[in-house]
Amino acid sequence: MARETGLDVQIDETALIRAAQQGDHDAFERLVRAYDQSVLRLAMNLLRSPEDARDVYQEAFLRVHRNLHSFRFDCSFHTWLYRIVTNLCLDQIRKRKVRKEEATVVATGEGPLDRLDAVAEQRADTDPERRLFSGQLRRRIKEVLNNLTPRERMVFELRHYQGLRLKQIGEILGTSEEAAKNCLFRATQKMRAALGDFV
Amino acid sequence: MSVMTCADARSQFWLLEYGELSFDEEERVETHLDACADCRAAFEREKEVYAAFNTAAAEPPPSLLRQCRAELASRLESEEHSPAPDARRVFSGWWEQFTHALTGGFILRPAGALAMLVLGFAGARFMPNFLNSPAAGVTEAGMNRVRDVKAAANGQIQILVDETRQRTLAGGLDDSRIRGLLLEAAKDPSDAGLRQQSLSLLNAHAQSADIRDALIYALQHDQNAGVRLNAMTGLKAFAAEPEVRGALSQTLLSDPNPGIRMQAIDLLTQDSATNMDRQMVGTLQELMLREDNEYLRQRSQKILEAINASTEIY
Ligand SMILES: [Zn+2]
Repeated sequence: MARETGLDVQIDETALIRAAQQGDHDAFERLVRAYDQSVLRLAMNLLRSPEDARDVYQEAFLRVHRNLHSFRFDCSFHTWLYRIVTNLCLDQIRKRKVRKEEATVVATGEGPLDRLDAVAEQRADTDPERRLFSGQLRRRIKEVLNNLTPRERMVFELRHYQGLRLKQIGEILGTSEEAAKNCLFRATQKMRAALGDFV
Repeated sequence: MSVMTCADARSQFWLLEYGELSFDEEERVETHLDACADCRAAFEREKEVYAAFNTAAAEPPPSLLRQCRAELASRLESEEHSPAPDARRVFSGWWEQFTHALTGGFILRPAGALAMLVLGFAGARFMPNFLNSPAAGVTEAGMNRVRDVKAAANGQIQILVDETRQRTLAGGLDDSRIRGLLLEAAKDPSDAGLRQQSLSLLNAHAQSADIRDALIYALQHDQNAGVRLNAMTGLKAFAAEPEVRGALSQTLLSDPNPGIRMQAIDLLTQDSATNMDRQMVGTLQELMLREDNEYLRQRSQKILEAINASTEIY
């Protein structure tokens, strides 16, 4: 729903934004609902902690609400929203990198709702050998994702899991399409290298 | 079209996979794939790698989404419907409804003798918990934001933290600190609600030139229609002052919001003939030329007819 780009949808969204700018609560809520699922998914996948994802969700939409009046349609609302969300997530990832090094402060790593493990349950492989294999594969993917730089991680997430075009990713992250492409290249190289003997 | 080597083709696989090649580039790679069984096999393996990445994608549980939505709704509610009934309503009836519709329920705060102002910033809630925990040794910090992190030479980590303390100042409008902060808050570009509340407090004191200037500034420059409208509330009693009349005339002719133009014409013509100087007649005549709102046109026409002025510019 959020990624339809038909003209009707755009007109509809422009009208929604204008109404929300005038203080129409329903319009604001509809705007939120058009995007909040993908915002939450992005935050969850990047931060792999429901608590942190929840914080990002709240803070992002509160900021949207406070600043919507200054939205001037210079870019798409989606891009504007994702700028806010990705900044919040990057802040959080960077903080976490520091936190990780503060070994005494944080006892355990990730939150309980690890997306990789969640997927493992969903698939429920019955073949033990295959299960062992996919378990190892998931651990490896997780390891590599953690070792990407925050920006590589973000670009990979936006391109691979959210399916955004490099051009839009550049706009969101305030950089060129070319820079986003280089970043994605590094990320996929690292991922591929780490998975080389698995796949 | 030059022939592509296997190495060239394979270096493009990832972009092909992501659909980020131009039409021509994609043609070249696919032409090569058609002709080269080795690369076709390599591309199939490549696809498996990307499929493996996909196993790492997950949807957040529906319960989390529901929780987030509920929490957001209640936080928006508490942001907008902060307490305080409006103690001094200047207008009533349709005006209030209109104001409410326009501002989306910004509450016009009472302008008492005591003005309280809380300074803070929006990002404050988004803090790493450990910064506020005793272990990190910054227990006294009110609001923190990590601005920069880096490894220092001695193996330690350096963190640059912006600290913003929330502080409550209390005082009357005659207190220069309160007055200065209020005038500043009335222009805060990031927060329309704050501007709105600040103006509501300032409105009761528009007899002071600096406050009147702030109201005029808001009327002419604020991007939020509700805030502009609120500024007019404070200027109502001073509509006869030349600089206020000038600002109102400009608003009447150029504000994008018809409700605000209606209010401007009301204020400009509230004292009937006394203020119907030549300038005012000129403004109304110009309005007849450019206004497309029917109500405003009729209104303007009636006033001009009442004072026997032409409805056209000669
Ligand atoms: Zn080949």
